[in-house]
Amino acid sequence: MDNQGNRLYLNFGNNNNNNNTDRLAASDRTQYPTTPSTFPQPVFPTGPSGQAPTPQQAQQGYPQGYASNNYYNPNHNDPNAGLAHQFAHQNLGGAGRPQNYSARGPSPGQRPRTANSQGQQPGYGSYLNAPPMPSQNSGLEFAPAPERNPDKYGPNANNNQKKCSQLASDFFKDSVKRARERNQRQSEMEQKLNETTDPRRRESIWATGGRKEGQYLRFLRTKDKPENYNTIKIIGKGAFGEVKLVQKKSDGKVYAMKSLIKTEMFKKDQLAHVRAERDILAESDSPWVVKLYTTFQDANFLYMLMEFLPGGDLMTMLIKYEIFSEDITRFYIAEIVLAIEAVHKLGFIHRDIKPDNILLDRGGHVKLTDFGLSTGFHKLHDNNYYAQLLTGKSNKPRDNRNSIAIDQINLTVSNRSQINDWRRSRRLMAYSTVGTPDYIAPEIFTGNGYSFDCDWWSLGTIMFECLVGWPPFCAEDSHDTYRKIVNWRQSLYFPDDIQLKPDAENLIRSLICNTENRLGRGGSDEIKRHPFFYGVEFESLRRIRAPFEPRLTSNIDTTYFPTDEIDQTDNATLIKAAQAARGAAASQQQEESPEMSLPFIGYTFKRFDNNFR
Amino acid sequence: MSNLFSGINARLRGASSKPSPNSKSPISPTSEDGKLNSPGGLSQRSLSSSNLSSPSSKLPPVPASPLPPTANMTGSIDDELAAYHLPKPLPLWLNPAYAKQIVKGNFMTLSRRPKAVEQGEWVACQVVEHYRNLWNFVSIVYQKEENGQSICNPTTCPRMSAGGNHSYTWLNNRFEPIELPAYEYMTLMQRWISGKVDDEKVFPTNPAGVSFSQHQQLTPSAIATDGFDEYIGKRSGFPKEFSTICKTIFTQMFRVYAHLYWAHFVEPFYHLNLEKQLNSCFSHFVLAGMEMAMLTPQELEPMQPLLDLWAANGTFPPDSKAYESANLKAGNRLLQLAGMA
Repeated sequence: MDNQGNRLYLNFGNNNNNNNTDRLAASDRTQYPTTPSTFPQPVFPTGPSGQAPTPQQAQQGYPQGYASNNYYNPNHNDPNAGLAHQFAHQNLGGAGRPQNYSARGPSPGQRPRTANSQGQQPGYGSYLNAPPMPSQNSGLEFAPAPERNPDKYGPNANNNQKKCSQLASDFFKDSVKRARERNQRQSEMEQKLNETTDPRRRESIWATGGRKEGQYLRFLRTKDKPENYNTIKIIGKGAFGEVKLVQKKSDGKVYAMKSLIKTEMFKKDQLAHVRAERDILAESDSPWVVKLYTTFQDANFLYMLMEFLPGGDLMTMLIKYEIFSEDITRFYIAEIVLAIEAVHKLGFIHRDIKPDNILLDRGGHVKLTDFGLSTGFHKLHDNNYYAQLLTGKSNKPRDNRNSIAIDQINLTVSNRSQINDWRRSRRLMAYSTVGTPDYIAPEIFTGNGYSFDCDWWSLGTIMFECLVGWPPFCAEDSHDTYRKIVNWRQSLYFPDDIQLKPDAENLIRSLICNTENRLGRGGSDEIKRHPFFYGVEFESLRRIRAPFEPRLTSNIDTTYFPTDEIDQTDNATLIKAAQAARGAAASQQQEESPEMSLPFIGYTFKRFDNNFR
Repeated sequence: MSNLFSGINARLRGASSKPSPNSKSPISPTSEDGKLNSPGGLSQRSLSSSNLSSPSSKLPPVPASPLPPTANMTGSIDDELAAYHLPKPLPLWLNPAYAKQIVKGNFMTLSRRPKAVEQGEWVACQVVEHYRNLWNFVSIVYQKEENGQSICNPTTCPRMSAGGNHSYTWLNNRFEPIELPAYEYMTLMQRWISGKVDDEKVFPTNPAGVSFSQHQQLTPSAIATDGFDEYIGKRSGFPKEFSTICKTIFTQMFRVYAHLYWAHFVEPFYHLNLEKQLNSCFSHFVLAGMEMAMLTPQELEPMQPLLDLWAANGTFPPDSKAYESANLKAGNRLLQLAGMA
């Protein structure tokens, strides 16, 4: 670049050559014959930052290296203000070090006098006993660092501080990760280039590689928005948002787009959960976990663009078939074991495993979804909340439902009608804020702490439902269900008219039990070894044909979703209508981009692998 | 676009916009801004800012220091830092103890273009990322509190300054340099940059348009079809003036960084424990900007001592352009002053 001319003012007039590199290298070598490599680097203390000097630093540092402040220190003109102060703030490690320096001998390169540098190099030794010179530079010192005081700024500044700090560290973390992956892809590409000599093939490897990387960069810098997608159908609705089958306008690809209403998330304290879900999905590469392509947001919603699993969910299957044969149950339960195992390996406790969250892919195999976004278990960590539910009155109005209050329902064939009631309301429950607590382990809401094994309890309840037709603690309302779960010893009941094989019942009982005795506490292998799974080859399970394979007519076939039962008006329309009703005044109030709103920072996620592999 | 600009200009005229005195801010037609205003620079003409008081193209042999004479009686040539005419005491951000990073390792890993990626695509992505980073810091000094006060306001910062020696003006549509409070300047900067970045014609977003970089040996047929690229981004559908626009964006962003350091490093970034974050984003910015030739050494002058320091303390890798144009002696001098040499 043009270092000439314009840069001269930085050169202190001691050289008029052109190139900075030349200047530095050449002039230094002529002045200081000692090569950097022989220089005993450790002589230099590393700074308080602990940074080791780079070779360049050492090289450049040599002429001036010894001329530390310490040298001047004793004779410093103003011992109070300057260096003493500075040291106090720099944490230089006590007063001992200055002496070390002096003992080592004063520096030859004391004066950083590059302008008349010819004169200064020889005879280092002669300086050894020279008295410290009064510094010519004593005026040079750093402004003292005041005591840090964040409180002097207002709440907005402090709020922005948090965002800023978070965003900056996220940026570097993401960038480093991306760079690492990019380099990986680069060497893969070079590998491929080396494997062939066909020029056309080589050109195509290069072009494809470059295009994909470029598309990813374009993807990174572009803000995705819901307008980039056409909604085909709403395939699920929940308290916090909805799931739509969408098609990307630009390339026609099909996705499931979950959109969560920000205000609802905020109100219901779901933010940590959403973040958890984004984090786990973003990190996971498991075939057992629903793939997350990208996340983005606008003023009203958080969006998660996920793979569309056309097979629907296990809840819909159970509603349709009521019960499964033991073989079919074995298949699903075995797959769910592997799926839970995968989630646990990611260091995550699902806590809300239930049939609604178990999705079926094209081939009819299981995938887990809904991490941390449970419909209903807001304040999952708030024990008071559960305590209230357990002791207090039911907070759920019993409007259209059977109004006969029965405290303990023993679900036997004799009250099949009640079961059917339950089944009818099943989906309503799933979509409500309260959600269904049926599959939750008791320790989660008794507040004595829980661990990974709480997911195995849920497995037990799902297995029960598959074989029996309803979940074991099914009750008139969630309030009663909570109580039944806590009193599981009394309330767990296997109906007489349904004959379970002893292995099956035994497995259920070893999962639905207190955590000390629960199977799986010592790892998923305990469960896999249970006689119920005799003959199951877990390693190849995902490759065998599933007992039920979705029959689809197209890639946007929603046959396996109860779209008829779902109000097809999307939330965006509802919110817009509500905002219009409130008046346009509030609508265009966004001063900043939605990403910048603190609770939702770090939500936006873009990954190469899931999009461009 | 155009109405936005006229809006700004109207606002500028409405404000007490006196052209700054010539003595203070000489505009040289051959200055950096001449380049920025180059033909095809879209609305640069009406909005481009100019680097004013730093006489970057013609340097007097001994620049007259606006600062009071210092204790450095034996002559400023004696000190590596003298040519910078830094205030005394030296600003806190030049203290190596406060010039640290939140990241370790080689920054260049982040700024090196993957070989097969078309240059324009890479530049575009960098522009957007750095802009997002910068705006994080700006919002802290920019957002108003309940009482309507922002940390950076016309009282604290009546000019868009970077120390006593530099202040930046904005050109109005009659090419007159306008001195603006920093707050105002940053508002215009933000609007102007996002106007570009969000413009599909300047920063195309359709994934189908993405191309790859040409390679002498590997992509002979692409070269045969397209010839060698005449301008950056051509193959990927970026406009001819793309590179110029990006340079202006980088220059503008640099000025804002410079203002943040000179006027706001202590108030508020140091107090809010954000100086390491600021340092990291800024060093990454400079490294990337220099590497892509989006920033030129002369523009960096107000921040040069810090860049020297980063070259000297290993933040800038020796194979980076930012390192090449740094003055290691000045950097080492700063380390030495801090007892870290």
